[in-house]
Amino acid sequence: MKGAHIKATGISHTYRRGATKALDGIDLEIQPGEAIALIGRSGCGKSTLLHILSGLSQASEGTVYVDGALVTGPSPSRVMMFQAPSLYPWMTVEQNVAVGLKFNGRMREAKTRVPEMLELVELGSYAKRNVQDLSGGQQQRVALARSLVLNPQILFLDEPLSALDAFTRHALQRDIRRIAAEMGITLVLVTHDINEAVMMADRALVMKANPGRFSAEVAIPIEGDRAPSSHEFAIAKAALVEAYEGAAGLTMAETAAPDRLTSATDPAPARVRAIK
Amino acid sequence: MTRSTQLAMEPPAPPADAPEEEGVQAAPSASGRNRHLAAMAESFLYALAGMALLLVLWWLGGRLVESNPRMFAFADFAPGPTFARLFEMLGSGEAAEMTAPSLYRVGFGLAWAVAVGVPMGILIGWFGPVGKLTNIPFQFLRMISPLSWMPIAVMAFTTWDGAIVFLIGIAAVWPVLFSTAAGLKRVDPSWFKVARNLGARPWHMLFTIILPAISQDILTGVRLALGVAWIVLVPAEYLGVTSGLGYSINDARDTLEYDRLAATVVIIGIIGFGLDFLCQRAIARLSWHRED
Ligand SMILES: Nc1ncnc2c1ncn2[C@@H]1O[C@H](COP(=O)(O)OP(=O)(O)OP(=O)(O)O)[C@@H](O)[C@H]1O
Ligand SMILES: [Mg+2]
Repeated sequence: MKGAHIKATGISHTYRRGATKALDGIDLEIQPGEAIALIGRSGCGKSTLLHILSGLSQASEGTVYVDGALVTGPSPSRVMMFQAPSLYPWMTVEQNVAVGLKFNGRMREAKTRVPEMLELVELGSYAKRNVQDLSGGQQQRVALARSLVLNPQILFLDEPLSALDAFTRHALQRDIRRIAAEMGITLVLVTHDINEAVMMADRALVMKANPGRFSAEVAIPIEGDRAPSSHEFAIAKAALVEAYEGAAGLTMAETAAPDRLTSATDPAPARVRAIK
Repeated sequence: MTRSTQLAMEPPAPPADAPEEEGVQAAPSASGRNRHLAAMAESFLYALAGMALLLVLWWLGGRLVESNPRMFAFADFAPGPTFARLFEMLGSGEAAEMTAPSLYRVGFGLAWAVAVGVPMGILIGWFGPVGKLTNIPFQFLRMISPLSWMPIAVMAFTTWDGAIVFLIGIAAVWPVLFSTAAGLKRVDPSWFKVARNLGARPWHMLFTIILPAISQDILTGVRLALGVAWIVLVPAEYLGVTSGLGYSINDARDTLEYDRLAATVVIIGIIGFGLDFLCQRAIARLSWHRED
């Protein structure tokens, strides 16, 4: 397994213009190849934490180690994807995918590597197209190919699917999880969609705001393909909803304990571990 | 939709084979192309009618001048004598002869403006403190008429050509500089974040991201600069030099050849219009921006 191990200790962050701490004393360990979801309400510090883990920002306090090495800046081996695909509109699909190779003086590999990546994200026939001619979902697939072209060890996803329609989103959730598993990539996903967390992660960390902290951890041990209609899915989701409600201090109307769950000898609480 | 309802929403179960987003660009239909052609023909007709109107006004003005005994000497300003002289000048090569030095001066002035304005604009747009430091001084310098530098230019440069190129350059640098800086400030910051993440070095950032991203802003600045340069050119050529369009106008006035003077004015208009048109086409061709 080539995915990286991440260990963050005592991460606190205060923005220069921010009144309060955006993050306060976060400790986090992620195993190689694991898929983690950071979930919580808007403003609880998910993006801030992701930027710090990736090295794109520096925390006011605390340290991040990836495979034992201190993180001091961004690296092509830890790639972040955002809500917007942020493709370069003056380039074709294949030029966008190859841009990482170009920055690292590896354009010689482009001939084989770029088509390989485009096949992986199922856009093989779009190589010569301008990215502006693609749909939102296709653009996010190109962004995924661009992120993977340098064989990263970690993929950080900051709600990259939240602007897509339900079908497209579902297809990409499955594909990203599959690709990450195949390539042994450690996945750190930020979302406020509980279904997405259950769909993609092995473990979800629920955050609460002011200051940003973890409030609970939910294991999502579902083997193989994940179908939202399956029983396991419903159980994991119920557990996550409960943890989420606890963190946010609110109740979500229609997800509150559906009848079919009560028959399952109430396994949900066992999976939730409160933090602090 | 509130966040909590969004969270609670269950996406519909996808079909066994999730639908793939299909190609989005439909080929332009025949009727669409026809409509496009019709629109082009219409705007061409309007342009033609507008120019005809201008000619009529000019011709009327000519008739008025001609019929007024006190202004009779200026009758050669009318379209008839002007166009007769213009064709003569085109045939004899005189038109090309007086245009070439002017184009050369404008070309060099613009080249200097781009060489100084683009890097300076990028510095201003990229480094916040540089922008804040230079903002007021540049706004101040920008408002000084380029022609007021004329005495200084004449003293500072050994040749008249040098002085004129300097005047054009100093007039043309501001649109290029401000347009470049403003373009860079508008660039989506996530493009830089992605590049940084993927290991871009400073020169990658400059040549692979910044310059393509702001190419349209730079070209728009150049187009504005060309307009300014073309305006400054004629008065700048009023002094010293013995070639160029500005000189020809002055010379024609001194020799009372008003048909030559008017023909030169027409040449200035045609070339200025042509250069601007070329700029506009270049922008449209090089642009990656989509109209729709
Ligand atoms: N550049 C900034 N300057 C000052 N404060 C900031 C800045 N960016 C974020 N914050 C604050 O830090 C806190 C955490 O922000 P962050 O963007 O990490 O939240 P988030 O969990 O990603 O929210 P969302 O789900 O809406 O993306 C918020 O209270 C926010 O107001
Ligand atoms: Mg965020």
